[in-house]
Amino acid sequence: MIQKKICMVGVFGTGKTSLVQRFVHSMFTDKYHSTVGVKIDRKQVLLDGETVNLVLWDLAGREESEEIPTSYFRGSAGIFYVIDGTRRETFDQIFAIRESVQGTIGVVPSLVALNKKDLVDEWRLGQGDYNALMDADLHAIGTSAKSGEGVENAFLWIANATVNK
Amino acid sequence: MSQMNQSESSSIGGTIDTCGVTHTGKVRETNEDQFFVASLQKSLNLLHTSLDQVAAFDEVQKSKAYLFVVADGVGSTGGGQIASSMAVQSLITYISRTMGCFYGYDIDSEHEFIEQLEAAVQHAHDKIVTEFSSKGKGPATTLTIATLIWPRVYYIHVGDSRAYYLRNGRLKQITRDQTMGEMMIDQGVMTEEQVTRSSLMNMLASAVGGDLKPAVGLIDLQWGDTLLLCSDGLTRHVSDEELTNILGAADSADSACQLLLNAALEGGGRDNITVVVGRAVEDDR
Repeated sequence: MIQKKICMVGVFGTGKTSLVQRFVHSMFTDKYHSTVGVKIDRKQVLLDGETVNLVLWDLAGREESEEIPTSYFRGSAGIFYVIDGTRRETFDQIFAIRESVQGTIGVVPSLVALNKKDLVDEWRLGQGDYNALMDADLHAIGTSAKSGEGVENAFLWIANATVNK
Repeated sequence: MSQMNQSESSSIGGTIDTCGVTHTGKVRETNEDQFFVASLQKSLNLLHTSLDQVAAFDEVQKSKAYLFVVADGVGSTGGGQIASSMAVQSLITYISRTMGCFYGYDIDSEHEFIEQLEAAVQHAHDKIVTEFSSKGKGPATTLTIATLIWPRVYYIHVGDSRAYYLRNGRLKQITRDQTMGEMMIDQGVMTEEQVTRSSLMNMLASAVGGDLKPAVGLIDLQWGDTLLLCSDGLTRHVSDEELTNILGAADSADSACQLLLNAALEGGGRDNITVVVGRAVEDDR
């Protein structure tokens, strides 16, 4: 069976764990639990008739005082960046995080989840930001771990990208 | 009370000072907790050689792992003791049979290593289920395992025993309790207050020998960090603040274990108490 390691990366509180919970366990909780280190989950998906085992590494969010250990990225087939669309700084920091990722493992298939899409009134991103992601060759998908919107689509996109790269 | 402590120097730039202690507590008649701390090392000792360069031998000596395990059995009429003992023993058996995965450890293929640890837990679970399959609902146990291959700690966690680490005076809980209470809170079915007043906080949502749902993860330690594994007999009496103060003040794993045990006993000792500590002490430069 094909196995692919995908790292969930982003600033703290963007909803990385919630996205994994939604995708793997079809669950969502409003209660915030800060991830410590890395939490590993698995989910099998069927792509073009072939079963792919996704190994999801949910990395503790980047905080000002603590960088993400770059060794966590090693062996990753794909990177799943997560931005909180209601917190502009989580968008701004994604480029520095990406630099750190690419400095460690080079260019691998990557996706940006624009998360918390259900909070439309608090949305802080605009067309210019989407263009900046496109210019950086980053495919973006709007997601809501709360409603489930876009979640399956996002994980299947990154799974496909890692298999077909 | 039973205790073990060990301080081993190594070539990783420091020492892992370890200790473990378990106590029946003040109320229970039997101790259903189990623990062990073990070190694994590639063993190829150079006695004689014609080689000028012996660096390759250093590499073999360098690699060392530490295994920290805590199990807290649950079940009636001594079943919990059997379950925790069986889980820990089958874990040892499985690991001894699959030592190759440790010898072949490489950070780029660490998923294989993690899979072996998961398989070891599954093996322990299967053993208990098979043993008690003809006797209706059998006993079960929590199981928290931390494998340290410096600086990385791989953990597998089932139930409500806990793993923490202390860094720069800040205590972080690595594991999350797998109890019905936590699950109810997560699903928004009950509030924290409602759960605290119910018996759900102590009801396991995941157990070895029961409904097995292991949580898997890892963290990287730094020199000066302290790793703590414990059964709920400690945490029901000793707050996070007290854990922080005691671990921060202790000058050895041995004293940390003793002080934590004493605090739990002074707090009431209503359950069995198990404490396992690993301190990452950097060599003097």
